[in-house]
Amino acid sequence: MKRLTLAALLAATPAVAQDLVTRDRVGLPDAPNVMTFRLTPYDLYSADAATAEHFAGLFTEFIRARPDWRIETQLQTGDIGPEQARLLQQSQAGRGPDCAMVDSSQLALFRDMGVLQPMNMVFSQDEVADLFPYVREAVTNEAGDVLAWWWFTDLRVLYRDTSVVPEAPATWEEAQAAARAAADAGREGLLFNAGRWEGTAFDWLANFWAQGGRLVDDAGAPVFGAGENRAAFLAAIAYYRDLVESGAAPARVTSITNYDAFNAAAAAGSAAMFVGGNWQYGQLRETLPEAQFANWAVSELPGPTADQRATGTGGWAIAALSEDPAKRALCGEMAKEIYAGPGNAYQGLLPTSAALYDEYDAYDGPEFDLFAEALRNGVARPGAAIYPEISNQIQILLGDVLSGSAEPEAALDAAFEAAKAAHARQ
Amino acid sequence: MTARGPAPADGRPWPWLVPAVLVLAAFYAVPVADVLRLAFSDATLVRPPERWTTAALSALLADPALPAVLRTTILFTAVNVIALQVFGLLIALTLVRGEARGLRGMTAFRTLVLAAWVVPGIANGLIWQMLFDEAPYGTLNSLLGLAGFGPVAWLSDPEMALVSAVIANLWQGTAFSMIVFYAARKGIDPVLYEVAALDGASPWRTFRSVTLPLLRTAVAVNTVLVTVQTLNTFDSILALTGGGPGRATEVLALFTFNTVFYNLDLAGGSVLALMLFVVAMAMAVLVHGWLGRAR
Repeated sequence: MKRLTLAALLAATPAVAQDLVTRDRVGLPDAPNVMTFRLTPYDLYSADAATAEHFAGLFTEFIRARPDWRIETQLQTGDIGPEQARLLQQSQAGRGPDCAMVDSSQLALFRDMGVLQPMNMVFSQDEVADLFPYVREAVTNEAGDVLAWWWFTDLRVLYRDTSVVPEAPATWEEAQAAARAAADAGREGLLFNAGRWEGTAFDWLANFWAQGGRLVDDAGAPVFGAGENRAAFLAAIAYYRDLVESGAAPARVTSITNYDAFNAAAAAGSAAMFVGGNWQYGQLRETLPEAQFANWAVSELPGPTADQRATGTGGWAIAALSEDPAKRALCGEMAKEIYAGPGNAYQGLLPTSAALYDEYDAYDGPEFDLFAEALRNGVARPGAAIYPEISNQIQILLGDVLSGSAEPEAALDAAFEAAKAAHARQ
Repeated sequence: MTARGPAPADGRPWPWLVPAVLVLAAFYAVPVADVLRLAFSDATLVRPPERWTTAALSALLADPALPAVLRTTILFTAVNVIALQVFGLLIALTLVRGEARGLRGMTAFRTLVLAAWVVPGIANGLIWQMLFDEAPYGTLNSLLGLAGFGPVAWLSDPEMALVSAVIANLWQGTAFSMIVFYAARKGIDPVLYEVAALDGASPWRTFRSVTLPLLRTAVAVNTVLVTVQTLNTFDSILALTGGGPGRATEVLALFTFNTVFYNLDLAGGSVLALMLFVVAMAMAVLVHGWLGRAR
């Protein structure tokens, strides 16, 4: 009876419907069942009004079908490392939210710490089987439990202004030559992240992975500074250093700490190429005048040779942290019904299930063929507790080398020793 | 005229002090004790302490990054503390002089300076990051270009990046020093300045012989406060440079933050927090001792 009353109330007036989504709640304020949900600020609470409105509609529809539930939302900032560390710590202490967005690179750590709760009741075996292999491996355990739902993935690609760089560079050498020629023509040849933040390490790692390099061994210990990994590491550093020293990339790359800088450079017409994320394609289409956007194209990241390619794959997962079966189910249903399908299609994010690419028209564009092709060379960051510190050391190393403060060999030695010392203390 | 009667606290002060002591203990002493406990443990952010150990302290002392971080911290703090005092004092004296002469706009000037103070550290870093943008369309470099200068590698050059971080901190922190000096200067008896004027003292002589000596306490207190504030600065640097390029702008507070949240090393971060605490306490004790001798 109470459920019927709530359902009637939800459908009653537009004013009530508007109140179903607030800054800290989805659903009626007096709904008897409560699930807390910690989310990122990129969808329901996006700074982009259209995105926020679209997700508010999806959440409204979702909660109308579940009138006796209230979702209390908690916003996490974009400072991923500290936010995820705090989330893990709170979950271990039993003070975490019931459901949360977990960065894909942190999934293994959360899994190893035993805080992820199965959501098997929501996802069928066929749906799990349809996930990309590296995604399926990350979200399931040996028993086959679905411990999280990695609802979108992303990758790094090379953007180029075809009026300056007509042909896509396939190798490092070709990229440097094209960037050098663009610089001679008065443009910034090739831009990439090299400031002190996660994007710097993640984007650059593609060059290391393309040579088969490994950051950690099977036990999660750092190995990037020894043996064949060391040679691959130094070669990848030399690629970036040569870009800067030759003028193919401006020295200011060591101050770039966000992807928006590339959109701004593209809009200003100052950049010829940049290493960016697949999501920026849609942003450029929205930002640039049609004629200017028509000049921009994407291609796979160049490798040491045309056959050696890699790209870093990331994305976010939704995981249940509560042991309550009803909350685990609601968490999974939210991931499935809001985020993995219609939410991804609206934002142009890359689903992790092959079937969803056919289900939505949003993925008909030619760029998605390229993204799908590049994903075949996708490499996820290692799910080891030491990864954030390795990333930190790579950021320091690249900043030092590219600004001329350190030699690559010495910088690598320092980074490797620091990572090993940190691992020993973990 | 009658003599003052006994005050409630005369003879038995403890009942009156206990509430304040309890509040201070709960909100200050307990967290400090907890940091001390964690510093001598093996705690990480994902594992509670399991045993007592000095391993975190030993690892920190052996960390080759620490000397560079300390050098950056000392340089950043020293330059900021000196510049904050100088600029704060200059603005405060300008305000007082402007008010004494009845100049219009002094309130607006004071408000403008204070506006920077209320900006959160993260926002401060982001504002200056936009201004220092080294792209061909960056704000400051474009202005310099119009004047025939630049471009300047504000954030990509390791040495210049530290200068940029100092500028951002000064912009925000000067208001606090200005308030301290403004209040202290307003507290000086105007008769002293009238006497100095009658004696024909020059403005510099008046400043040196009247204003500065009477601001001595304010200078000492302000030194302690801005030193502690500057030592704890990390949010504006985090947003401005993240500590880079390399470790060029990584001060001790940011190093502590990175140790805890990237390295997940709660014990190591606690050792660093203790180090900050000890430095701040040493500063306070030194200044307190200096003030005591001066009296």
